Amino acid sequence: MRRITEHPILNFNDKKKIKFYFEGKELTAYEGDTIASALIANGIDIFGYTPKKGRSRGLFCCIGKCSSCLVIVNGVPNMRACITPVEEGMVVKRQVGKGFFKEVREVEK
Amino acid sequence: MKSEKVDFLVVGGGPAGLSAALEAGKRGLKVLLVDEGIQLGGQLVKQTHKFFGHEGTYASVRGFEIAKILVKELKEYKNIETRVMTSVVGIYEDGVLAWDRKVNETFRIDPEYILIATGASEKYVAFENNDLPGVYGAGAVQTLMNQFGVLPGENFLIVGSGNIGLIVAYQLIQAGANVKAIVEITNKVGGYIVHLNKIKRLGVPILLNHTIVRALGKERVKGAVIARVDENYNVIPGTERELVVDTICLAVGLSPSIELAAMAGAEVIYIPELGGYVVKRDEFMRTTVPNLFVAGDVSGIEEATTAMLEGRIVGLMVTSEKKKVNLSDEIKALLKELEDFRRGPASERVRKGLSKMGIKIASGGFRTEVQKSKGPIGKLRAVIECPQPIPCNPCETVCTFGAISTGGNINGIPWVDYDKCTGCGLCALKCPGLAIFMVKEDVERNEAIVGIPYELLPIPQEGERVVGTDRDGRPVCEAVTEKVIKSKDKTCLVYLKVPLEYADVVRGFVISPREKCEFICRCEEVTVQDVEKAIDEGYTDYEELRRYLRIGMGPCGGRTCRLLTLMILAKKTGKKMEDLSPGTFRPPTIPIPFNAFSEGDEN
Repeated sequence: MRRITEHPILNFNDKKKIKFYFEGKELTAYEGDTIASALIANGIDIFGYTPKKGRSRGLFCCIGKCSSCLVIVNGVPNMRACITPVEEGMVVKRQVGKGFFKEVREVEK
Repeated sequence: MKSEKVDFLVVGGGPAGLSAALEAGKRGLKVLLVDEGIQLGGQLVKQTHKFFGHEGTYASVRGFEIAKILVKELKEYKNIETRVMTSVVGIYEDGVLAWDRKVNETFRIDPEYILIATGASEKYVAFENNDLPGVYGAGAVQTLMNQFGVLPGENFLIVGSGNIGLIVAYQLIQAGANVKAIVEITNKVGGYIVHLNKIKRLGVPILLNHTIVRALGKERVKGAVIARVDENYNVIPGTERELVVDTICLAVGLSPSIELAAMAGAEVIYIPELGGYVVKRDEFMRTTVPNLFVAGDVSGIEEATTAMLEGRIVGLMVTSEKKKVNLSDEIKALLKELEDFRRGPASERVRKGLSKMGIKIASGGFRTEVQKSKGPIGKLRAVIECPQPIPCNPCETVCTFGAISTGGNINGIPWVDYDKCTGCGLCALKCPGLAIFMVKEDVERNEAIVGIPYELLPIPQEGERVVGTDRDGRPVCEAVTEKVIKSKDKTCLVYLKVPLEYADVVRGFVISPREKCEFICRCEEVTVQDVEKAIDEGYTDYEELRRYLRIGMGPCGGRTCRLLTLMILAKKTGKKMEDLSPGTFRPPTIPIPFNAFSEGDEN
């Protein structure tokens, strides 16, 4: 488990739990989590695969600057996982490549 | 498209932006502050350490607490509107385009004045496999652990020993992770000595003249190869070695986020001392575009404290122009303060960088000598280990007895007047660098008391035996916890009783690394509890226990443990000792070298 439960300075009290989906699997996040923090807490380090070389890609800057953490959220690609709050029932997928309109169309259907 | 007309648009809700919005807002300007993140505060929200500086700049307050204070104050003004999750995507000649991510809508802002306080982003460094998941900017790890309470790994390597590298290393240990090493490619540590000392006291190896060569792993980081470098920073072949780590933090500097200022037409110049491409500005933070200002890291990588001062200057500048009021005294006072903050040796790069923009900052004019005396032996007193001039003076201002002085300038090295010091320990609790210790020798009893500022878990109990460690984190002596003072801001002062000769040696401690174990088999390290548990599981004779626990199978051949095991067995099963089998006895009776047998054969 990667959640910090005891800390000399900070308090991470029990927060409300949120259910969301990653690659079809139901995962638990806490209220206040971003998609990135929830995925990392669940032991998921690979957020996608790169467009040219197909290499695994994860979180890098965590403050919305580097665009390394792009994922597909409810069918919308290129969402920055690190500055997008996780929501109840949210469907998150790894992004492979640059992201395509077909993902959006699938959801709109 | 919706549009909003404001006096003052602040882009970025970090220390600079918040401070600017406040100064302008409390003087009546209509302010809109937008920030991309999910909460206001910028990178303050992940700073768990106490800030340097003085009372007026939130010294000794932890970064995330400063964010709370600023945001709370901001909310008191109805004329300051804040919008989080809102990105400015373009600055055009006739307006600003913003995108509210909460509702996925763009809108237009028509501001009279703009402050770009967009901060900076993490620098990257090239090495093999540097794209593997598990390679993070150090700030990202800080965000995950301190803002969200998530540790992305267990064993960390930190690349770079500037303040960020040092602070993140310390905070990782606070969060319960292991820091395997900090590698620094140059021959000296870049960050403040007090930050360095905190890490050294915890025994973290700091490898100078070392760099990372590659990250190991296929899909995510499983390790790292580091190596020594020569004076040209080239790897010396044959010095590579592997570290088993699952996370690599790059703390190799920051790049100013200049994009918006540049697209608005502000001149950008390359000044490596300030972080690379920075926005050109005058001493009042005005860019080459008249109504466009910058503050904080976007105009040169520095500190949150200077960012706040710069932000306040912009807030006052904009107010004075918009409202046509004279605020020059207030502005001058802040400029003076900025100059003071930049006087010291730690700001040498910043001074050099700013001079390339035509902004001259004075240096020196403060005490640089370290106090030689460590005070009268036998008196409980403060011993300050703060040998580098940094702009910081809470030790001086917190002392109600006037016993500590930085010598008239905030950058000066603090000295203690031992006639006035009462040994109260307030300074040790307050010092942001955890660099003040309390010491009292008792020569007659051949012991000493050492008070150590402490911000880790677990907190020792009074009377608890611990192991005293030295300034490099090496265990040196036994120590007993005399007293623990817990302050409201979570810093503890742990008083240890140590042997007299360690009064000037012990600067940390580890809580006895030994778990509470009652051994009965010394060779195979089997405890009473292990044996009792095995009996409960149904292993109820000596031979079974031996096969299951390896008890009695070590080099002593059961001499130490056999009887004790049988006694536990008798007690637990209710059988008489004489009815239990003591098991078989087999050769060899003592450890004997293999070659003794083989040589016997040959003969």
